Amino acid sequence: MSNYFNTLPLREQLNQLGVCDFMDSAEFLDGVNVLKGKKLVIVGCGAQGLNQGLNLRDSGLDVSYALRKEAIEGKRDSWKNATENNFTVGTYEELIPNADVVINLTPDKQHTSVVNAVMPLMKKGATLLYSHGFNIVEEGMQIRKDITVIMVAPKCPGSEVRAEYVRGFGVPTLIAVHPENDPDGKGLAQAKAYCVGTGGHRAGVLKSSFVAEVKSDLMGEQTILCGLLQTGSILSFDKMVEKGIDAGYASKLVQYGVEVITEALKHGGVSGMMDRLSNPAKVKAFEISEELKDIMRPLFQKHQDDIMSGEFSSTMMADWANGDKNLLAWRAETGETAFEKTPAGDVKIAEQEYFDNYTLMVAFVRAGVELAFETMVQAGIKPESAYYESLHETPLIANTIARKKLFEMNRVISDTAEYGCYLFDQACKPLLADFMTKVDTDLVGKNFNEGKDGGVDNRTLIAINEVLRSHQVEVVGAELRKAMTAMKTIKTA
Amino acid sequence: MSKPVVHIANLSLKYQHKPVFQGLNWTINRYEHWLICGTSGSGKTSLAKAIAGLPHSYGNIEIAFNPDSDLPATVHYVANWFQFKDLEGQSNFYYQQRYNKQSAETTATVKAELESFGKKHALQLNEVESILAALGFSELKDSTLIQLSSGEHKKLQLVKALWLKPQLLILDLPYNGLDTLSRKNLNTLLEEVSNAGTQLILISNETELPSCINRNAEIKEGKLVEVSADERSWNEIEVSDKAVPTFLTEAAPTPSYSEIIRMIDVNISYGEKHVLKNINWEVKTGEKWVLQGHNGSGKSTLLSLICGDHPQAYANNFHLFGNKRGSGESIWEIKERIGLISPELHWYFDPSATVWQSIVSGFYDSSGLFCDPGYSKKAQTDELISYFGLDEYKNTLMNELPLGKQRLALLARTIVKNPELLILDEPCQGLDQQQTKHFNRLVDELCKNGTTLIYVGHFESQLPNCIEHRILLENGAVKSVGTTIERFESVENFEYN
Repeated sequence: MSNYFNTLPLREQLNQLGVCDFMDSAEFLDGVNVLKGKKLVIVGCGAQGLNQGLNLRDSGLDVSYALRKEAIEGKRDSWKNATENNFTVGTYEELIPNADVVINLTPDKQHTSVVNAVMPLMKKGATLLYSHGFNIVEEGMQIRKDITVIMVAPKCPGSEVRAEYVRGFGVPTLIAVHPENDPDGKGLAQAKAYCVGTGGHRAGVLKSSFVAEVKSDLMGEQTILCGLLQTGSILSFDKMVEKGIDAGYASKLVQYGVEVITEALKHGGVSGMMDRLSNPAKVKAFEISEELKDIMRPLFQKHQDDIMSGEFSSTMMADWANGDKNLLAWRAETGETAFEKTPAGDVKIAEQEYFDNYTLMVAFVRAGVELAFETMVQAGIKPESAYYESLHETPLIANTIARKKLFEMNRVISDTAEYGCYLFDQACKPLLADFMTKVDTDLVGKNFNEGKDGGVDNRTLIAINEVLRSHQVEVVGAELRKAMTAMKTIKTA
Repeated sequence: MSKPVVHIANLSLKYQHKPVFQGLNWTINRYEHWLICGTSGSGKTSLAKAIAGLPHSYGNIEIAFNPDSDLPATVHYVANWFQFKDLEGQSNFYYQQRYNKQSAETTATVKAELESFGKKHALQLNEVESILAALGFSELKDSTLIQLSSGEHKKLQLVKALWLKPQLLILDLPYNGLDTLSRKNLNTLLEEVSNAGTQLILISNETELPSCINRNAEIKEGKLVEVSADERSWNEIEVSDKAVPTFLTEAAPTPSYSEIIRMIDVNISYGEKHVLKNINWEVKTGEKWVLQGHNGSGKSTLLSLICGDHPQAYANNFHLFGNKRGSGESIWEIKERIGLISPELHWYFDPSATVWQSIVSGFYDSSGLFCDPGYSKKAQTDELISYFGLDEYKNTLMNELPLGKQRLALLARTIVKNPELLILDEPCQGLDQQQTKHFNRLVDELCKNGTTLIYVGHFESQLPNCIEHRILLENGAVKSVGTTIERFESVENFEYN
């Protein structure tokens, strides 16, 4: 198998990267009809598998689960999840031959072996559904030509996919049809019906391509979403401890701060987040985030370049083949950091205090979101796709840090994201060493406004606001957020 | 005469920026146990929270604890609402979640919760057993928090308070969601702790109270007025004679099925735990039912099956609205025909929606509003808002309203689409007596036009008149099914097994 993207001529590469259409709700008027009465068989029953299945069944569709024999005999969690919710469960051999749609919701790393096992059993003209395109695009998996290959990717953790559905809403979703595998031309209609089945059509659906999804998803998760949040959290914690701030307080500020701060990002974009700061703090955060952008830009570009060229995925797959040596070493290292090992103190931190005492993180988030977005757009990814993979997902990842710090974040995200996150973190920390020597507790740990009179220069402030608000991520974001403003607040702190 | 226990001088209190009390004076002396009543929104909860030291209040509240008492020198407030978090510190739940098995393990067990409470307050674990037994809670120790019903959550709060035995205990609507026997037992327990030295402030509009209550006051128009026990003004109930909006009295087209619900040997279990056992039940179109049973008897689970909220519905043999469940219908097609209110629905409802949005969302069975409803739905909603007297709160967020007003808004949401089937699970929790009476009259009015009704209520005096059938659950099984002619005689005689 060879990297699919690299087999394409430039024209076609640009063409596929550029698929990006925010769909009108009228596109979904046919509901689930296309899938009604069809046999939907989900392979894998983890958080995404189970919750998508519950939604599809509640939408009137016929859902069952195909699990590996060992999972069934060993009564593993996936087997329990499915049977305890009264789904039919069977082996690949039992269920796949009758399936009209086979939904692959196993981890990335297993895709090749799962698809190789499933494909020969699939009936002629059936559909194979992915929720991530890595296997097709990076590994170059070839699917039998009679099979339709589509992608439906809810942009939220599985638990949210269910929670939003039962309250009558849904989560933003990306859909795509693989141009090499749409023999009957039914791919898009099926993907749309599947979206209705999971409730995604109510929260905004972006029509993308396998290529655009993979190249933007990898970039987002490695840089702003996981990489920068990890680097920023560790550097912030270490700085506070170095400067004599109580370690329990520092731990709590870092663990929950990023969630509180990005909650503002979710509702009002980068400018909404920056507006939570006092005027002097905003000016300062703007200045240091400009500096951070200059320092980190080459690193963001390197990540994007390696993703586009396939260098990233081949390095990672080499590590897979090597028993995950690098991944496991980095994972252990993360578990050993002082931040990870210091429990959050039993102190009350008010919501506004997270902004006032953690201006540094606001600057990190602004720099990271804008850089990731800009770099993706420069590489040919459309702004709407870039928005989903940068700004939109940041609060979701921040929530995992609030739950149980970085170790939890790395456990929840895919192995692919985790690997990329460590790559970024390893390179970013030394890059920021000089910058961090200048950072003091007014930016992290203490109230920035303390001892200041709150005054700023009018023209400076106006100029800064103008720069923030006119950034393309803000313009695109305002439009996309309209479709999902009703999303429920996820809060821990 | 010893020093007063609570002395309030010139207290001003605000609720969401609106003044509730100005210049309030109130003294509570030792050995006094107060009942505070008042209509919904009168400020009962704000005052209770101020004494407990919770919200922003201006003025002087002095609390003099008894230095000679063995009891903890603290004020403990049992809220009219409850809150819990999962093991990762999140409180982001949805009301159907307690029916999912994979969700169970994400919250602490009752046992662990009690142990951590006991440890925090240095309490003896063996002392809690008798309280658990008296409230019928012993068997729930291994349940996780997410699995508890609202009545059971209320009990857990009460168990903690009674175990703690603080010098001053404030209970805000403690009877909400409790069954008859639990109420009786709660009163006995309250009498016991009051004998042991705990002073009570009880906020309630109920009439069955612990005998130790020796002072009564009513909050009226921003003033606390002492009344004698007989004077508690809940007897003067005027029911408004506003006309019911006409869109609610239009008769529904006759459906093609004669049975709305037909259950054949329905079973629900979580592992070893059987929650519903061989339920057989038929509800014909247009029938009016009351569903009764003590806390934990399976009422909510039974209703969750009907509302399309229970994943195990698919493994059972039952018919809804003429279709076998799991034959290709979506839960939204089911919900479309049902108007549902329940304590759980209220508890998990989106608090960040406005009153208006919450009510319109009843057309879509969603928690919060996600689309533009169009002219006629908007007009009907406005009409109903006026009918419920909620005009001034139309654009207020739900979480900025007192509990009783939130409940009124959700009741309006329940009926706004004039559904075929009304499922009213303790609909009047948190309402005052006048509102309860008023709502039940409205239910009678709605049911004249062929609407089918399933009503859950613990007290006969608080049921609508139209009820004609009754099903009684006990420990997950049907104890009796009958008409209400042989009415309610056994309800008062429940025993815990």
